Amino acid sequence: MRGWRKPDKGLGASIVLRVKAETKQVCNRKAREKVMEDSSKTRRSGKPSKRSAPGGNTHASDQVSASADEFVPRLEVTIAGIHFENPVWTASGTFGYGKEFAHLIDLNQLGGIVVKGISAEPMEGNPAPRIYETDSGMLNAIGLQNVGAQRFLEEKLPFLRTLRTRCIVNVFGFSTDDYVRAIEILNEGDGIDAYELNISCPNTRAGGIVYGSDPKLTEEVVAAAKKVARFPLLVKLSPNVTDITVFARAAEAAGADALSLVNTFVGMAIDIETARPRLSNVTGGLSGPAIKPMALRLVYQAARAVKVPIIGLGGIVTAEDAIEFVMAGAQAVQIGTANFYAPDTSIRVIEGIRDYCRRKRRHVADLVGSLKVA
Amino acid sequence: MTMMYDTTVVVRENRPLSGGHFLLSLHAPRQAQAARPGQFAMLHLLGRSDVLLRRPMSIYDVKAAAPKGRGARKSAEIIQFLYKVVGRGTRLMSELKAGDAVGLLAPLGHGFFEEEYLDRARQADKILLVAGGIGIAALLLPARQLAESGLRGRLFFGARSRAEIVGVQDFRPWVAATALATEDGTRGHRGFVTRPLAAYLEKNAKKKCLLLACGPMAMLQAVVKLATQYGHPCLVSMENRMGCGLGVCLGCSIHVLGKGHEAYQRVCTEGPVFWADKIIWEDARVAEAG
Repeated sequence: MRGWRKPDKGLGASIVLRVKAETKQVCNRKAREKVMEDSSKTRRSGKPSKRSAPGGNTHASDQVSASADEFVPRLEVTIAGIHFENPVWTASGTFGYGKEFAHLIDLNQLGGIVVKGISAEPMEGNPAPRIYETDSGMLNAIGLQNVGAQRFLEEKLPFLRTLRTRCIVNVFGFSTDDYVRAIEILNEGDGIDAYELNISCPNTRAGGIVYGSDPKLTEEVVAAAKKVARFPLLVKLSPNVTDITVFARAAEAAGADALSLVNTFVGMAIDIETARPRLSNVTGGLSGPAIKPMALRLVYQAARAVKVPIIGLGGIVTAEDAIEFVMAGAQAVQIGTANFYAPDTSIRVIEGIRDYCRRKRRHVADLVGSLKVA
Repeated sequence: MTMMYDTTVVVRENRPLSGGHFLLSLHAPRQAQAARPGQFAMLHLLGRSDVLLRRPMSIYDVKAAAPKGRGARKSAEIIQFLYKVVGRGTRLMSELKAGDAVGLLAPLGHGFFEEEYLDRARQADKILLVAGGIGIAALLLPARQLAESGLRGRLFFGARSRAEIVGVQDFRPWVAATALATEDGTRGHRGFVTRPLAAYLEKNAKKKCLLLACGPMAMLQAVVKLATQYGHPCLVSMENRMGCGLGVCLGCSIHVLGKGHEAYQRVCTEGPVFWADKIIWEDARVAEAG
């Protein structure tokens, strides 16, 4: 069995390594140039510190005082006291723990990364099939598979800490105690900037009623989480409710620092050849461009109902999509499903927003809620 | 982690074969040179807002742009995919023409000859490549690598009928023998591929074999049963719906032996190649039926 000893021989293993090294160099150089370019655009010098939040979204006049032809739009936003370089984040469950995309895009260009939902204990998730593609969207019923809070701190957070990008940890549970326990473990983490509470889980003690579809449960879990959370608390609302404003107000009243909306819409698909559901879980969450108009409407309504900042998501693929959410009232947006098939979407959206702002001579903060309704 | 490339590449040829099969050739030097046997690619049909997700495809072959030859892969520029039209994604793929652009993320996943598979593989003195239907697409690169390291495998290939026996000529230079089977008996043995395979295993019961298998779930399950019966290790290349190919959507996880969150492993990242005895086959069957 001589042939087995060097499995890569004949397939250019050395070439692979060399290409890898070259690509890395190119990436690093690009990243460095980018950092330099960014710092020359803003009034900060050198690498911006993650911890020291500068002026936020108040408009410093020194920026605008540059000659009219050199208008430099400011993309940065401050949400719940946290400074974000730009308003484009990646959505929970679509971007892993960040590292999975490190080969493909410059993670430091993102405004924030919302990591895959974390629970106090590891979860194994649902049996296959877990996903199904539908027109302009996809259904998923992953079942919240994750490594658990402790292993997240040990194995995933150290990498995220090396990034300039803000790290938001999505948290879920099946009882209020679960949520509290997960947050208590995560509180020990260094490098977490905020929590995003996923309240789309059924409360097992309350007979499986979904937290996010009962205003009382929403209030209960948000208040309990806020009480223990060491970092600012975002609450991600479910769209599967009759009146989103009731839930937005409930979360705000219970202490939410900001709201993310929306999570996926419950849907299903059937294989008529076998008369079976396309997902083992029968129903799943619909995401992708198919839900954008509905998500936009919910962001618009919620933004008019509460004072806390809103982070909009639901089918965003282009900068135009993102700007629509901002005009409807979102201070930031998240890119979700598009990460699966076009990992550079967030980068393109950031660039597109910059171009739009330059053209319109407006800063991102000026666009928030700028929708004109006659 | 192996290096992956995500680029827009150009279609060189999309050749129709028999039985609704096609051979797609893309000009993708970086992906072609990095590819190892058993790895796969995510193919993206560009410019469609209704069909969003990329399609997972086994890497069938890599070759130089012009002349054929053995040492071709060091300067490989072309990456090939052998596929059968089965749904919307593959139907759209079949409409691709030379000069069209597609997105290509590759190479991905754990192939057949990763380090952790070698300990048991080294002990084998016969390598049996077992394909069912379009599963044939995952086995050409391993057959060639084996041949180049002085070990010719034997190909067992089963399909529904004669028209679906594709690619056999590509295997000829690299395998010691080929046994074909069709369900309707229009080519080779009548019946499933497990018939000639069982006969071979019985005849060579004293030999140490290693099986590399790819195909539909029922076929894989039957092959694994035979391998277990004769005490041979078996590597299987698994299929599943995939959302991303990057290990983040967790859509392709399959049930394996293990506890807690380790009971599910991602076909795109820990796979697509697994030891057969690690997989919980009953659950895999249910998943396919769904």
